[in-house]
Amino acid sequence: MKCLIPILFALILAAWPVMAGDEGIVVRTSPLFASANYSSKRIGQVEAGTAVSIERRVGGWKRIVLAMPALDGWVRSYQVRDAATAPALRTEESGSDSRGFLDGLASFSRKASSFFRSGSQRTSSSSATIGVRGLSEDEIKSARADFDEFGKLRLFASDAARAAKFARQGGLRAIRVPHVAGPK
Amino acid sequence: MRMLAHIPLLLGLACGSALVTPAAALDLDDLRKSLEKATKKIEEGKARYNEATGKFSEEDEIEIGGNLVAGLLGAAPLVDEPALQQYVNDVGFWVASQSKRKNLPWRFGVIDSDGVNAFAAPGGYIVITLGLYNLLENEAQLAAVLAHEIAHVVRKHHLKALQKTMKREFWSGLGVKAVDNEKDREKLRKLVNSGVQLYASGLDRKYEYEADLRGVVLAARAGYDPYALLDVLTTIDSIDPGADEVAVLMKTHPPTGERLDTLDRKMDGRLDAYASGRLNTGRFRKVSGGRQ
Repeated sequence: MKCLIPILFALILAAWPVMAGDEGIVVRTSPLFASANYSSKRIGQVEAGTAVSIERRVGGWKRIVLAMPALDGWVRSYQVRDAATAPALRTEESGSDSRGFLDGLASFSRKASSFFRSGSQRTSSSSATIGVRGLSEDEIKSARADFDEFGKLRLFASDAARAAKFARQGGLRAIRVPHVAGPK
Repeated sequence: MRMLAHIPLLLGLACGSALVTPAAALDLDDLRKSLEKATKKIEEGKARYNEATGKFSEEDEIEIGGNLVAGLLGAAPLVDEPALQQYVNDVGFWVASQSKRKNLPWRFGVIDSDGVNAFAAPGGYIVITLGLYNLLENEAQLAAVLAHEIAHVVRKHHLKALQKTMKREFWSGLGVKAVDNEKDREKLRKLVNSGVQLYASGLDRKYEYEADLRGVVLAARAGYDPYALLDVLTTIDSIDPGADEVAVLMKTHPPTGERLDTLDRKMDGRLDAYASGRLNTGRFRKVSGGRQ
């Protein structure tokens, strides 16, 4: 028994890098690179739905660690999502398919819609032939202007002073960034 | 055009030289006909020039956009949640302030629909569906969606599309308040219906790619992580494309996977320096009222 303790300790240490980062999930099947650039060696591929640990992010890249098979490397940042900030990820039981991941989001979306919905019953659900509340293709095509609602749109307009205050409160600062020109 | 404007002068000179050259004397009637012909050509040239380059004034644009967004609001009204509407306007206005058209009367709204989509109308009107809003995880993602739509407005994509299909005369004299007779009312109804069709048929795909690329730059300028748009696109890409919620979006936009690959390729790491921009997850969640 005594000799098992060091072994267990060693196993925990070996697993430490996996547990150290933030919990994430691969949302698109992606190549895994040795370094944070496309010209580095491709050392494998991670499948959509794989649970990973996100060690850090550098620019548009994230360094991830997989438990099984034991592998670490870099993927494009948007191909791996942080489980802590993606609520729907918690609704899926280690799905192996990213479509499943969004099935959770879809049902979540419907729940949240109910949360926000007020007493307004003006959406044309009676003509929602494809089961989407408002703005199906048919509804868009047959839409008639609603200028009362248009008037409400103006009620919440912001202005330069308000926007500047809002930005300050959110730690946002305007930065000079040139447009990314030219097709590549 | 400039050359055409000189034609009467040239003809005048020709006439003058003819008068002083007895051997080449011209019949005055022929001369008058030539002048009339030249004048007609100049007028035709002017008309063609105006048609080709004639642009809507900003006032026209705002008027047209107001009519179009009123059409959308006829299909799905605003969500009756003032704090949410105010928040979306705050984020949107801040992002739009980083564009070269910051002086437009920018208006933003969340509309009551399960569909996953967002729409822009000329003049600075932008709406996002509640279905899409509910898929977002942080303020940077909201800013990214709005930035994409803002880019459509800044680049006048819808206006260009409308100009292709309709003559300018059709729009003239029509305003939100300027409908004072039955004829104008009918004109307005046709106008709104025709314009709103664009939202069901979609813009040229090249405009969508352009709005993606310009949108990430606008988001970066506003201090947000520009990669947030790619996160939104991965979320959308993971939805079953056959789902009702995304039917219109899928019909009116390039395949989401292609948008992702194209955007990432075009960004080419050039915005990586701004990837540490804000996400503002906490503020987003606070506004969204414990729905997460």
